Amino acid sequence: MLVLTRKAGEGIIIGDDIKITIVELKGGGVRIGIDAPREMKVHRQEVFDKIKQENREATQWDIADLNELSNILDAGRKK
Amino acid sequence: MMKTIQTRFGEVVYDPDNTLQFPEGLVGFESLRHFIVMPNEKEGPLFWIQSIEDPQIAFVLTDPTDFYFDYKVVPDGRERKKLGISEKDECLVVSVVTVPQDRNITLNLAAPILFAPSTNRALQVILEGTQFSPRTPLPKI
Repeated sequence: MLVLTRKAGEGIIIGDDIKITIVELKGGGVRIGIDAPREMKVHRQEVFDKIKQENREATQWDIADLNELSNILDAGRKK
Repeated sequence: MMKTIQTRFGEVVYDPDNTLQFPEGLVGFESLRHFIVMPNEKEGPLFWIQSIEDPQIAFVLTDPTDFYFDYKVVPDGRERKKLGISEKDECLVVSVVTVPQDRNITLNLAAPILFAPSTNRALQVILEGTQFSPRTPLPKI
């Protein structure tokens, strides 16, 4: 991994169209500005990881679950 | 010409011209681009999609607005482009369902799937700064 030292107000250019700016350092946190093409997805790591983990867990089911749940949910709706 | 794949639920016959496409896969499953929409045997709000590329991978999905009436996700311009649709075309929202061992299912309202019926394309989007949880329980009746 490339590690660079930057100060507030300084930036980093990645490729032709991504620009990262260090906006502010405050209370142990760093505010970062990101200029990237709109089709490029930008997410906080922990949010992304959480969704990835949830998707993985969502693959752990069985047809029996589905049938059982469908009965329960359908009965609930018809009440 | 129909095709057949072996899945962990048995053999599935599908029409290769009528598959659901995820041009970017799902989060964590970026390489899985083609799915078969499986009708549920039972009536009810749940259905499932089976990956064509990986027979082990299938997701249970549902229409979240059946449970959360005010839940709404509108695709932005770049998402419409990826879905291959214009402003006028319909775009539906679908949620991934997690079935834990106690069967108290949860909906992933933090990362909904946008689905464009006219192009049969779908996109899982991560909502930034949302109040919705990736593990939202069903509302108490």
